[in-house]
Amino acid sequence: MKYMSSAGEYNVEKPGTLIARAARLAPELRRPFAAAVAVTFVATIIRLLGPLVIREGIDGGIVAGDRQTILLAAAVYIGLLGLQYIADGLSQWMVALVGERYLVRLRSVVFAKLMRLDAGFYSRSKSGVLVSRMTSDIESLQEFASDGAVMALSNTLTVVGVAVALGVVDWQMALAVFAVVAVLVGVSAVFQRQARRAYDQVRERIGRVLAMLQEGITGVRVVQAFTQEQAQASTFGRVNERYFEANMAAARAISWYFPVVAFLRVVALGSALAIGASRVMDGTMTIGTLVAFLLYLEWFFQPIINLSNVYNLLQSALAALAKLFGLMDEPVVIDDRPGAYDLTEPVVGAVELDAVSFSYDPGTLVLDGVSLKVGAGERLAIVGETGSGKSTIAKLIMRFYDPDAGRVTVDGDDLRDITERSRVDALALIPQDGFLFSGTLRENIAYSDSSASDESVWNVLRAMGIDDWVRSLPEGLDTEVRERGGRFSAGERQLVALARAFLFDPSIIVLDEATSNLDPETEVQVEGALRVLLAGRTSIVIAHRLRSAERSDRVVMIDAGRVIAVGTHTELVESSPRYRELVEVWQRGTK
Amino acid sequence: MVEDRSNLGDLRVGVALLLRVIMRYQGVVAISILGAMIWMAMILSIPYLVGTIIDLVVTRSGMSEVWPLLGLLLIAGSIQAVGISLRRFFGFKLSYRAEADLRNDIFTHIQRMAFSFHDVTSTGALMARASSDLSQLRLILAMTPITVANLVMFFVVTAVLIVIDPVLGLTASLMVPALLYTSGRFAGRVVGFSFDLQERLSQLSHVVEETVAGIEVVKSYGQEAHQQRRLDREAETIYDAAIGMAKQRAIHRPLFEIIPALGTVAVLAVGGIRVLDGAMTFGEFVAFMQYLAVMVLPLLITGWFFANLPRAAAAAARIDELLSTAPDIQEPDHPERLRSGPGEVRFNHVSFAYPDGTAVLSDVNLTIPGGTSVGLVGATGAGKSTIAHLIPRFYDVSSGSITIDGVDVRELSLDELRHEVSVVFQESYLFSASIAENIRVGDPMASDDSVRSAARLAKAHDFICGFPDGYETVVGERGSTLSGGQRQRVSLARGVVRDPRVLILDDATSSVDAIVEAEIQTALAQVMAGRTTVIIAHRTSTLALVDNVAFIEDGALVAFGPHDELLATVPRYAAVLAAQVIV
Repeated sequence: MKYMSSAGEYNVEKPGTLIARAARLAPELRRPFAAAVAVTFVATIIRLLGPLVIREGIDGGIVAGDRQTILLAAAVYIGLLGLQYIADGLSQWMVALVGERYLVRLRSVVFAKLMRLDAGFYSRSKSGVLVSRMTSDIESLQEFASDGAVMALSNTLTVVGVAVALGVVDWQMALAVFAVVAVLVGVSAVFQRQARRAYDQVRERIGRVLAMLQEGITGVRVVQAFTQEQAQASTFGRVNERYFEANMAAARAISWYFPVVAFLRVVALGSALAIGASRVMDGTMTIGTLVAFLLYLEWFFQPIINLSNVYNLLQSALAALAKLFGLMDEPVVIDDRPGAYDLTEPVVGAVELDAVSFSYDPGTLVLDGVSLKVGAGERLAIVGETGSGKSTIAKLIMRFYDPDAGRVTVDGDDLRDITERSRVDALALIPQDGFLFSGTLRENIAYSDSSASDESVWNVLRAMGIDDWVRSLPEGLDTEVRERGGRFSAGERQLVALARAFLFDPSIIVLDEATSNLDPETEVQVEGALRVLLAGRTSIVIAHRLRSAERSDRVVMIDAGRVIAVGTHTELVESSPRYRELVEVWQRGTK
Repeated sequence: MVEDRSNLGDLRVGVALLLRVIMRYQGVVAISILGAMIWMAMILSIPYLVGTIIDLVVTRSGMSEVWPLLGLLLIAGSIQAVGISLRRFFGFKLSYRAEADLRNDIFTHIQRMAFSFHDVTSTGALMARASSDLSQLRLILAMTPITVANLVMFFVVTAVLIVIDPVLGLTASLMVPALLYTSGRFAGRVVGFSFDLQERLSQLSHVVEETVAGIEVVKSYGQEAHQQRRLDREAETIYDAAIGMAKQRAIHRPLFEIIPALGTVAVLAVGGIRVLDGAMTFGEFVAFMQYLAVMVLPLLITGWFFANLPRAAAAAARIDELLSTAPDIQEPDHPERLRSGPGEVRFNHVSFAYPDGTAVLSDVNLTIPGGTSVGLVGATGAGKSTIAHLIPRFYDVSSGSITIDGVDVRELSLDELRHEVSVVFQESYLFSASIAENIRVGDPMASDDSVRSAARLAKAHDFICGFPDGYETVVGERGSTLSGGQRQRVSLARGVVRDPRVLILDDATSSVDAIVEAEIQTALAQVMAGRTTVIIAHRTSTLALVDNVAFIEDGALVAFGPHDELLATVPRYAAVLAAQVIV
């Protein structure tokens, strides 16, 4: 690989580095975060006061025989509960506000970075993995933000608070309870390791189940055509069973952990009672203290269990952060260099490749010293076999990549010296499949300029002779194209892509012609629209059919990364045997 | 995505399915409920023991009387642990087993449903049946045993409290409906929000997918800012949904603690005074507090259960609807065997209309002599594909019949029919598996040699050998991507590997460029030699290969004969063909 990814600098083993960097991303959220922590702290303190009030009610009221005190304690407790409701609610709310705001920022920043990365990065990475940075990785952070963060914060404070309170109430009893809790922490650690492993497996296997399910549905016609229903069902059954087994492994872990926790709870209760009973009977402890202690105990176990769950969420959140920062640190290869300047307006559109060499992987040259001139307004067809390097030429002209050697120029200026903005305005690519975005037809045609008026869109359509087609659609320009233009044929998608380019009005057009057969009617329309679009512009057409080559001003034939013939169609038919062969193949297919 | 159809009829159907599932695994259910009951009995005995110990403490009875009770407490604790273990493990087993079994049923069922069903059913809907709908079912099933025990427990605890002290018992029991209501309301709202959130998350991922897939167009038009705005908009809607959910949490969750605490306050105030009056012992007072504490989690869970039950029932009803739809294409009860023959295919007065009534073919009579090839020619929508799809019974004729070597295709077992009739589709679908495995879909028993020779026949061998892993190269969604032409050649190889009596090529060379098609042409000539072949093609070069052409217009067979003859005698044929060589 040409560019090494710097991912790996961040990893879960260094949570401090990760969190510090995460905090740097949104400095304006530090104050709100501090406020949220403060409110949570207050809420925890209020909660911890409850049992102390009850102790007073018992010792000062019930034991002392004072009704007034009992009622007073009850009234105070109700007051505290009112405060606790407000503080608790506020804490939940504030932590969520901060967390979700942070995620909005993170999504935006990561996506912006994703779009700045170059074609080389995209061809090295699987698109599914890129998408998962923005989806499953950020979603695991979301899970932490929406549930984990509050839990982590309030449960930690509660555990610390209760531990302190227990110690204050009676340190000997507290020690006995801490001993049990130490066992609980150990047991939880073992369980978490086991559960994590089990759930990793569950996640992996559900992925397979869903993938195979999807395949079984989308491929059902092939399955039936070859009567593979039973074979498919039994393969699926096996995959599904493995998922069941993974789930049961997790179930087994849960089925020993929670009973043990419940038992430990009773042990803690028993030891508190044993110590407390003898102390109360000695007269060294009040009965109210014992009851308060029992109440605190209830709040000690659940937070610890919660925290061990939160730990899992935190781990996957940190892992996600590490991956996201790895992406953020990818170098941006194609960018304005210092001192980059705009092309001189108006752009004439002369394109030249000067001794250009290029390789995707070091060692395998895709282009080997290609020199090529396209005059302003000229239509040049590039022909050659699959893999000859003809698409790479198009990509270099679009500056999706920079050449390893040599240079690509527009109007004599090296693309690397020109500002991105200026280059983008001068050039447009029409990819093979046209590529439509979800949205309306209007949005797709006016993609480069969403403020374009209906009138200018219709002008484009009329000029290209496809206004009748759009009018024939049920909702005209407002027709939803559906996913990737699924409701349109390949030819219709081409038409939209051509109209989009026409509205953009670039000086130079790079067209990767579709290989698939269009239905005859649309083919005629595409031809017509193309003629209008290319008139007066420089165009480089990756040609897959005879007619395109015939209509071009000149044809370049590429073979194994080199130019092997240049000239008009007629010239090449006479002078190049390789070209003649290609033309004959084309002719067999069409005549 | 998720239609909210939790009406009463669905509820009944759904609950009926849930009950059927529960009956199917009654052993597991019984053990889990037994475990839950043991757990419940012990959890009820623990506050009683604590209360008794406290009374001994208050009366200064001495530790010798306390120790045996502490021993009992530990025993109750251990038995409780066993109960929890049984309840949890078998509860999980019930839910996961039922989920896995139902998913298998759904998958098998989907595989059997005919083309007509898949034509009108979206992949997303079927995926939802076998994933999110099933998950809802599973969650409810997992919670069923504990809910049974919980309901018994609320009843028993309320009774116990009222027996100990009617006034305080009634006051404290107010916690039960209050907590059930709050928890149910919260669960109900949060479920709504979380579906909403899921929906919005998937919209955002859609924007990302689209941008990644179309990155060249985005960059070429300098529209990064436009895409960024789209994404930021989605991120904001996610924010709104998440904050809406947080609001519900902020409103309800504190109540999960406050309501039981209010119960404790009631015990303190009312119970304290009752103790002073001598109406109850101090131990009973403490036991009261403990009973309230013990009930909190079960109450929350039960509230959750009933809030989610309608949704799960609706999911169950959808699953039930899918499973009870019978496939349109049925196996004959007593299948005939195909006679040995050259593979003559005959259409006798065949008409076909889609279930919605759209007529496609009317009274087609066509005989394809065994071993000959026929090209189907006609404008888009004329009915070419339908003719091809009727032969292997992807659809059944509306009237008339189709025979292969004299036997009606409806009299043959589907297995035999589709084994003898091989189809190569226009969309060459490949499975996520190796190339060899993809070719073997055509004939699972094929030897390596026959896989290779099928690939050679389809002109796929050379490019396959060009891959580092050769025939073991994994393709499909999770593997490396093949070009359209390569995919078509692999599926062509898949079609011929079993050496079928009848071969149907459904526009199978549409997405290869002229150079590759020229190669496939020679392959086709070999494949078709001596085999009954029905081929739909746009390119005239393909028509030069076939023995006869069937010219279809508006669902009727207009002309049948050799290409040259039709060109000379049928002017419409020449016109339609002329439209195809415009390129």
